[in-house]
Amino acid sequence: MSTALARASVAGLPLERLRGQAWPVALATISFGLPVAFILLPLMAFLTYSFFHVSGGTTYYDLTLLNYRRFFTDEIFLPVFWRTCLLCLEVSALAIGFGYPVAFFLASLRGRKKYALLMMLLVPLLMSYIIKIYAIRSILGGTGFLNRTLLDLGIISEPLTIFVYNLNAVLLTLTALLIPFAVLPIFLSLERIPRNLLEASADLGASDWQTFGRVILPLSLPGTITAATFVFVLAIGDFLTPQMVGGQNGFTFGRIIYSQFGTAFNWPFGAALSVILAAVVILAIVISARFSGKARELR
Amino acid sequence: MASERILLELKAVGKSFGQNSVLENVDLAVRDGEFITILGPSGSGKTTILRMIGGFTEPSRGAILLDGRDITGLPINKRPFNTVFQDYALFPHMDVAANVGYGLMVRHIARKEVQRRVGEALELVQLGSFAGRYPAQLSGGQRQRVALARAIICEPRLILLDEPLAALDVELRKQMQLFLKDIQREIKTTFLFVTHDQEEAIAIADRICVMNFGRILQLGTPRDVYYRPQAEFVARFFGDNNLIEGVLAAGESGYRRIDTPLGVLRCAIDGQPDLATAPNGARAYAVFRPESVVTAPDNVGADQNRASGTVADISFAGATTVALINLEGGEGPVPARIKIASRVEGVALSPGERIAIAWPVAECRLVLA
Repeated sequence: MSTALARASVAGLPLERLRGQAWPVALATISFGLPVAFILLPLMAFLTYSFFHVSGGTTYYDLTLLNYRRFFTDEIFLPVFWRTCLLCLEVSALAIGFGYPVAFFLASLRGRKKYALLMMLLVPLLMSYIIKIYAIRSILGGTGFLNRTLLDLGIISEPLTIFVYNLNAVLLTLTALLIPFAVLPIFLSLERIPRNLLEASADLGASDWQTFGRVILPLSLPGTITAATFVFVLAIGDFLTPQMVGGQNGFTFGRIIYSQFGTAFNWPFGAALSVILAAVVILAIVISARFSGKARELR
Repeated sequence: MASERILLELKAVGKSFGQNSVLENVDLAVRDGEFITILGPSGSGKTTILRMIGGFTEPSRGAILLDGRDITGLPINKRPFNTVFQDYALFPHMDVAANVGYGLMVRHIARKEVQRRVGEALELVQLGSFAGRYPAQLSGGQRQRVALARAIICEPRLILLDEPLAALDVELRKQMQLFLKDIQREIKTTFLFVTHDQEEAIAIADRICVMNFGRILQLGTPRDVYYRPQAEFVARFFGDNNLIEGVLAAGESGYRRIDTPLGVLRCAIDGQPDLATAPNGARAYAVFRPESVVTAPDNVGADQNRASGTVADISFAGATTVALINLEGGEGPVPARIKIASRVEGVALSPGERIAIAWPVAECRLVLA
């Protein structure tokens, strides 16, 4: 009788009632079709395009590895590629370094204060990317906030130019822009740590630092790894920031790809470089999933 | 066994959140080596007491003394107490050995020594072969025992247990009660155990402290609180006592009369001088247990109270059969419950039948209303 009752109540669910009708088929088509049409197909097109090549302003549509060979043999591209990877790792490390204390502070707050501050942290995500870059550039510039403060404090005697139009500027700007993406996953993983684990640690005689090192840090590691990956992936795909604050010296891989589609008008080579970039991104995600998965499976 | 020496003392300790007082000023003395249970329904303040002793919550008033020394402001990690938390609070990223050894490791005790004592503690809780497992790979009962091993390894003066058996099923809970009691006897450490389960408290404790509404209502041995309730709440909290309302009348040494709709009942008041001095005419309840009652008594002496009535309902409850009787009172029927040992052929009672009952004066107590 109880199974009959259970069956009846399941049959009463709205979705279940639709079974055998046209609706589910349509829903399934949309939910699988959209990603295929808008993500998978363009990616495949890109991959295909990377095997074409351009010579003397003409595009040849036979499949070849010429573009990839050029990337690995030409002495321009590999150094920029490595420098960009390194730069993004630095951005990642800086964003975690600044983001972790912020997330920790946020998680230690209670009630309304916590969510008010969280909102303030998220507001920049709603602002235009370009406006934010302009804002940061004006802070870093020759007569900007940073230089003026240093001048007023007497630390320097004339405005420094090391913060604009080079890789330092790209590093600082990307870090500033991406810190919210680092704070959020760390904050969430800190929030998930049950309070009584911290009480248990103190109860067993641990000092606050010991509790942090032995309980909080290890348990927030999955979120921290996720945060680092987020920042790295977003940073390495960015070409607008280096374009706007990098100047002549701040050349990154993203800008090279951009130039292939723009000024150089060599779409197949740009596509090949994009494929390489995508490979790096996928690699980063796989490594991160492996690490944070290992840390998470024990929870 | 517990000595008379006082280990821990709460002096007029209270807790308020704003205007809201969750714990009135409470006095409690815990003896060295005893197994004391704080028993009460949720919201009674029992967990607040435990948390204040552990240092997790600051009392708003009063002082907590350990060996006569004030420890009220001492931080959690400086108190020589360890806690078994309600949901165990095991560290999910450490294996059993690391969990159990945590308290020693943070005190920078040598690795060899830690290993040896972890091994001993795990043997004590019969989890010797589980050292390498993670909490997620353990059953509820096993986690419970890991939490206990983790608490006892630091050799605390007092172990606080916050409803540690609440999440276990009935059978396992009974096993764990015996297990806890055995361990407590073996390591001779004072246990302070918080629970809302009366049977558990009776089965496990040397002394029970019954709480409600942020107050301690009674502190005594399980036999005391069971047979000699000192408050209406305590009388109603343990089992299905019969409470017959009435007004106090004259008394004699060790007894007091109460005028009820059933007539005048005699109640034992030994050990409760407050009842001997309570004024005549004060409202009170006569309290007697359903299992104290005999049916169809032959010759009723002065040491028995008696009444008669009609059987309203009979229900079989395993070992005992419960009969609901409407006793004849001055102003209409007074319901009472009696318990009779069950027999395979049923009991010699049927609904609608008129019966006489009697119960010993020694097992009839008084509580003030």
